[in-house]
Amino acid sequence: MTQIVASGKQAVSAKQAAGDDSPQQYLTFSLGGEVFALGILNVKEIIEFGNVTEIPMMPAFIRGVINLRGAVVPVIDLSARFGGKASTISRRTCIVIVELESEDGKQDLGVIVDAVNEVLEIPRTEIEPPPSFGAKIRADFIKGMGKVEGRFVIILNIERVLSTEEIAMLARIGDDDGSTANAE
Amino acid sequence: MDEITSVFVTESREQLTALEAALLDLEANAGDPDTLNAVFRSAHTIKGGAGVVECEFIVAFTHVVENVLDKLRNGEIAVSGDLVAVLLSCADHIGHLLDVLEAGATQPNEDLTAEGATILARLQRDWLAQHDDAAPRSGPPSAREEPVSSSGGGAVETDCWHISLRFGPNVLRGGMDPLSFLRYLDTLGRIVHIETLADTLPAAEQMDPETCYLGFEINFASTADKAAIERVFDFVRDECELHILPPHSKLEDYLELLRKLPEDTMRLGEILVRIGALTQTELDEGLREQTPPSTEAEGGEHTPLGEILVEHKVVQPELVEAAVGKQKQVSEKKAAESRLIRIQADKLDKLIDLVGELVIAGASVNLLAGKSGLSDLVEATSLTSRLVESIRDAALQLRMVQIGETFNRFNRVVRDVSRELGKDIELVISGGETELDKSMVEKIGDPLMHLVRNAMDHGIESPENRVAHGKPARGRLELNAYHDSGSIMIEVVDDGGGLNRERIAAKAVERGIIQPGQTLSDTEIYNLIFEAGFSTAEQVSNLSGRGVGMDVVRRNIQSLRGTVEVSSTAGEGSRFAIRLPLTLAIIDGFLVGVGRAAYVIPLDSVVECIELRQDSEGRDYINLRGEVLPFVRLRDMFGIEDVPPPRQNVVVVQYGGLKAGIVVDQLMGEFQTVIKPLGSIFRHIKGIGGSTILGSGEVALILDVQALVQRCAQHEERSAARPQLAAPAKA
Repeated sequence: MTQIVASGKQAVSAKQAAGDDSPQQYLTFSLGGEVFALGILNVKEIIEFGNVTEIPMMPAFIRGVINLRGAVVPVIDLSARFGGKASTISRRTCIVIVELESEDGKQDLGVIVDAVNEVLEIPRTEIEPPPSFGAKIRADFIKGMGKVEGRFVIILNIERVLSTEEIAMLARIGDDDGSTANAE
Repeated sequence: MDEITSVFVTESREQLTALEAALLDLEANAGDPDTLNAVFRSAHTIKGGAGVVECEFIVAFTHVVENVLDKLRNGEIAVSGDLVAVLLSCADHIGHLLDVLEAGATQPNEDLTAEGATILARLQRDWLAQHDDAAPRSGPPSAREEPVSSSGGGAVETDCWHISLRFGPNVLRGGMDPLSFLRYLDTLGRIVHIETLADTLPAAEQMDPETCYLGFEINFASTADKAAIERVFDFVRDECELHILPPHSKLEDYLELLRKLPEDTMRLGEILVRIGALTQTELDEGLREQTPPSTEAEGGEHTPLGEILVEHKVVQPELVEAAVGKQKQVSEKKAAESRLIRIQADKLDKLIDLVGELVIAGASVNLLAGKSGLSDLVEATSLTSRLVESIRDAALQLRMVQIGETFNRFNRVVRDVSRELGKDIELVISGGETELDKSMVEKIGDPLMHLVRNAMDHGIESPENRVAHGKPARGRLELNAYHDSGSIMIEVVDDGGGLNRERIAAKAVERGIIQPGQTLSDTEIYNLIFEAGFSTAEQVSNLSGRGVGMDVVRRNIQSLRGTVEVSSTAGEGSRFAIRLPLTLAIIDGFLVGVGRAAYVIPLDSVVECIELRQDSEGRDYINLRGEVLPFVRLRDMFGIEDVPPPRQNVVVVQYGGLKAGIVVDQLMGEFQTVIKPLGSIFRHIKGIGGSTILGSGEVALILDVQALVQRCAQHEERSAARPQLAAPAKA
């Protein structure tokens, strides 16, 4: 129920962001053989994978941090975040830098993807609501299913996938291994 | 909000702080004229400024406050606790009115207006009204003071003040509007007649629209005294020529005035006649006589002008005193101001950011120079890096402010709260000159406020209770600040009953924070009070006891990369110690390597480095010159899975009086570390304080030594405790 409501809200906000009925642009990328799409407005830049500094005591999907022209940016392993195994690094592995609005202002996050494909326009009429199951990732991570050349691409709800709140919570659980309430 | 208003708001806030401090001082030393004057001055400056920015509601309110202060200064009413309390609430109210002005509203809202009216009514009823019949408020000085009489037959007929005003050319450029002064003057009395002098106004093509050419001759009916009138023009004092003649002045004084003014005597004379300051006969007579002014002054060679004037009974002695005092004040204030520059905080932050980038860039140059092997280059870069280091220190120094100002705010808090609680509490402040980062000073205020209020409410007992326990009836609350090995310590110490170990433990069990029968050390028990929703006060007062305070305190302090600890002795009091890092931006670091990763340990906490001996396998402590030194193996702690090199090193670190070791592979030397925050997703991470960028462009993590060691200790404790305890509290 709540998810339907939430996704309804998302559709509205996506509409507002795109303005009227103009088709929105999406960046498509592949990850573990599946094609995903990401609203272009959130994408800041795409860089080659490299020089990631690991952060100890963190869950596997937090790969580490990189130096992005003087700013320290956390890097998330999307594959691990979706519950799969960690991405293997290949020649085409990229980090997509995503800009998100959070409570404490704008925040940049890096996302590891297997390969970046292309920028597509997907008209609103070509977007189906997410299936309630079967996509192998959490339903609230999906904003919709875009039809491109007879195939479906999963349009990610990136605000949910990279929710700072949730990641911080998971990081804490990963870190805490049973600290008592009076810790500190 | 325009610039003048914003300057007015900023300055008025400073004046309010000064006002509050002076009021508290006044309560302690009632009747000290200096303090009284300080109070009066602050209130007046606010009122004057409000007049200039044409903020009527502040002028109106402050005016009444000033009346009360005036009576106080004249000794018509005495200082009392009640009066100070009301005046303090007046200061608060002015603060609220400033908020209104700052928000850009034209009028305060109803609540605020009502609050203002209540305070004013109280002032009127209790302090203004009852004395009004006894002593009529500030009549003209000539009427009240005997010594000043207009001797001889030369007195002129008018009973109005005469004000000659010539604005300087820069008044407009200085942001002052001459008209607003006149408008403000009008609030003191009635402008009977005004004549504008535009003699200096050049032809239109030569006129500079930013220059002020105007002068005024004003005939002014008022009951205010000379000082009050003079104060109207405080803001343009240095920029204008001002002559004030009291009512019933001698004709001679008018002539003297005419001679002093730049304009033609005859023309001025006519103006004076026109505005009604003189009659034509008086003027003619005066000009005919042309008595040389102050002939006596030539005789009594070095007699200061002030004395001459007094001798002539032209001015009241206290006016001269006031003028001299005023000159002194003005020059002192100027001296203090010239040592300070106001800079916008974001400009400063930008500078610090740039310096941070410079440090990183410098590190990479050093690295390259070292690799190149050119000794000249290495020498040159080492010189540069030394300079960069000095620049860094100087830049950081810019942001440092003394904590004293924050501490002083608590004088008021302690006073108010102790009154409310019916306790007698003395606040002792030490180390107010300790400097810390401005952004920290701003953020530490709230947590400190919680701690101070808590100490007063829960900590310090009622006077009867104290006496019964053989303690002085007067409670003592201390605020201390000092430096301790690269951190700043801020302590809140009270001499109350101390924390009740049993009660805290019982409460914690009740709230499900700990399990019954769980054994905890005293420190652990005391630290439970920082848990969310924890409060042991049996009665919830409106000050504290709702249990929302302490966990907020800890969170706020943690967000500043600081820690808070509590220690307590039953019956003797408790001590809250806040440890804060010195700066938030750049530190001296010590670079170490484990596996392929590099970590930075804050240099301030590093004591020494020693080699880890091979025979230490299996236990985590070494013998450091006869001392037992426990250590943390960073490799194990961080789960780095590779084979340790044959040679490992121990970095001996110190924090809060404790020593511990950190085992690493390589020691890579000192490194200037620009702290980059790790972002909010890592906010719960323990043991890592932030990150930095190395010369190579890689990111290195900064270790939070204290948290790291604590984490390790807890880890061990828990694994040791597990066999006995079936279920750890909150696994």
